[in-house]
Amino acid sequence: MSRLPAENDSALLLHPHKRGLQNLDRMARYRDDDVVDLAVVGAGAGGSVLAQRLARRGWKVVVLEKGPFWDPDRDWVSDEKGAGQAGLYWTDNRIISGNDPVELGKNNSGVGVGGSMTHFAGYVPRLHPSDFGVRSRDGVAVDWPISYEELKPSFERVESELPVAGEYWPWGDPHGYPHKPHPVAGSALVAWEGARRRGIEMHMGPVAITNGRFGNRPHCIYRGFCLEGCKVNAKASPLVTHLPDAIEHGCEIRADSFVTRVEIDDGGGRASGVMYIRDGAERFQRASAVAVCGYAIETPRLLLNSVCRRHPNGLGNAADLVGRYVMVQGAPQVAGRFPELLRMYKAPPPEISSEQFYETDPRRGFARGFSIQTISPLPIGWAEHVLAEGHWGQSLREYMRDYNHWSVLGVLAEFLPLPENRVTLADEKDAFGVPIAHFSYSQCDNDKAIVAYAKNVLEQIWDAADAMDVLTIDRYAHLVGGARMGSSPDESVVDSSHRVWGIDNLFVVDGSVMPTQGSANPALTIMALADRCARLM
Amino acid sequence: MSLRDQAHPNPHRLEQIEGTTPQMVGRYPHYDVLTQVDHWDEVTRRVVLDRVENVPPIRFFDDAEARTLKAFCDIVTAQDEEPRIPVLSYVDEKLEGGIGDGWQHDDLPADGEVWRIVARGLDEAAGGRFAEASEDDRVEIVHRFSKAKLRDGVWRELNVERAWGVVMRYVVQAFYSHPWAWNEIGFGGPAYPRGYGTFGSPHLGEREPWEGKESVHYDPVRDAKKWGLD
Repeated sequence: MSRLPAENDSALLLHPHKRGLQNLDRMARYRDDDVVDLAVVGAGAGGSVLAQRLARRGWKVVVLEKGPFWDPDRDWVSDEKGAGQAGLYWTDNRIISGNDPVELGKNNSGVGVGGSMTHFAGYVPRLHPSDFGVRSRDGVAVDWPISYEELKPSFERVESELPVAGEYWPWGDPHGYPHKPHPVAGSALVAWEGARRRGIEMHMGPVAITNGRFGNRPHCIYRGFCLEGCKVNAKASPLVTHLPDAIEHGCEIRADSFVTRVEIDDGGGRASGVMYIRDGAERFQRASAVAVCGYAIETPRLLLNSVCRRHPNGLGNAADLVGRYVMVQGAPQVAGRFPELLRMYKAPPPEISSEQFYETDPRRGFARGFSIQTISPLPIGWAEHVLAEGHWGQSLREYMRDYNHWSVLGVLAEFLPLPENRVTLADEKDAFGVPIAHFSYSQCDNDKAIVAYAKNVLEQIWDAADAMDVLTIDRYAHLVGGARMGSSPDESVVDSSHRVWGIDNLFVVDGSVMPTQGSANPALTIMALADRCARLM
Repeated sequence: MSLRDQAHPNPHRLEQIEGTTPQMVGRYPHYDVLTQVDHWDEVTRRVVLDRVENVPPIRFFDDAEARTLKAFCDIVTAQDEEPRIPVLSYVDEKLEGGIGDGWQHDDLPADGEVWRIVARGLDEAAGGRFAEASEDDRVEIVHRFSKAKLRDGVWRELNVERAWGVVMRYVVQAFYSHPWAWNEIGFGGPAYPRGYGTFGSPHLGEREPWEGKESVHYDPVRDAKKWGLD
């Protein structure tokens, strides 16, 4: 058993053989008219870490979460379609548009206690030090108001809590990981060999999956259904990494509670609590402070919907910046075909990755870069891949019969933040009467240049690996931005301590504050930001 | 060598010997994932077996729409004989349930309406009933749909390229969530609580005792020329 974190007993509060939380019967229950110290909106990566940190310091915290309180034994399945039927994704309608509209749902949203990390693949790379100053270094996007050094202790703390398994990491700020890397399955081995021959360095990890017992969380059994919710409790999500400890320290997680508005006291101009809907009834939770942690679509939607006399355009939106600069990563995948039976379903999707192309190289003709990661789609995901190249009928069936011979590599390309890539409120309303989100997205030339270059690198890897055929799909991954952090209210929604400009007890603590995104999967950064924010509160 | 752009006939019609596959075609003739149900957790078992044992009735589509769309689903999944995976039943169930995938293009109606317009559009393209057109005509109409070349009449009501994406997403989700399709492609299926024994280096190419052995008659890429596939 590896060393457990000093300030988080979550892994010990779980049951070694049952996956559901064991301390729910002693969870605090606050009344709506109790003025809690903090109301958190959303029990995902940001909200859960923030709640756990502050509950440990004695704050009375209520986390309001739209979705249910999961019990993985009871609610989750080892099945692609079944995961959607279980309700892991945000399936309420949203409108998408733009030149390059971004499909939402299973790929980049979550609902329920634990947020989208319940079904994320598990990759948890850090941002690089360069990510915090891309305007100064590369002349694009914007600098963060904080540095890598300010976030580094938070990265380290969170990595010890998830815990992260991986090889020594040579890129960015070089560092090691608390758990040794997982074994690598056949589909990743052929990719690795191709990369080696092409002179591209890849390493195992970094993944938030236990490698060895961790408290009462067992070792991974490599069942391959990370994206459908981990039934083993080996893969990290706030449901198992932070909320058991938060509950033990007096935090209430109020599931099935959809927050529709943050209320602002007309006299003092401070947040006084949140309106929410539970069991069909509208209720109001009083609070001394409010943290919005709903991610890049729901956070802007909530701020924009919270119009009031003092804030006729929504909260934090005096400069018309709420909902702007939403980013996705370009995430094309290229698959390679081999004579051997690779059976890519027999592994967690995240295995090996490379950040060799992460930084700007002026010779490539674009700013910033991309990372490379193995992906192992299950049959429906693989069918979408085959479909993307125009196959249907016999051709689809034949490529599908060939499933076990394929291996898939993907990239995460750093797309730049653009003001017109934004979330607004649509005319259409949801079942609760709240306007639904409209998300418009278009790529810029730099984005397109990175993706074209990156796809070519993947093709070169498969060529070097002697792949017999390749298949390519263009897609996106992740969502950040929409309430960016900055140094002045003219150019940002929150300050460097996550406080909404002009409302000093309202915070945004999730991926929406990220001014840029790097080529890293965002979960670790969001948790690290929440850890840092809690220390400042 | 590539399988790309081939609407080739499967020269082998490799017969499934144990277990069921759609049209009894498969690469793993002795593999039946349903012999493994005792190794699955109960929640998963219930969800997967329901797909075989409790096919939902058509409720969202009317009879005429269902006839057209069943014929469409057969063409796009190359299901020309029994046993068929009842793709449209699962599409219908999802639309009737009213829970979509979480987004809607601003130039498309809701998913259910897209399906209904596609049904009308297919009939119109067939000059009557799509389901009663010749197989060649049905394939040709679907081909034009897939390339967004159906533009007139009913098809003006939506963005045809995106509509193809919407309906095919539903189709592959219904087809490849069915255990008969898993038999055909040699997918291991649910793996909890058992996990895997032969995992990672140096097990490249090894299989679990219960996983299917691939028929070695031909390799569709390596032997494409030999079998007249290219």
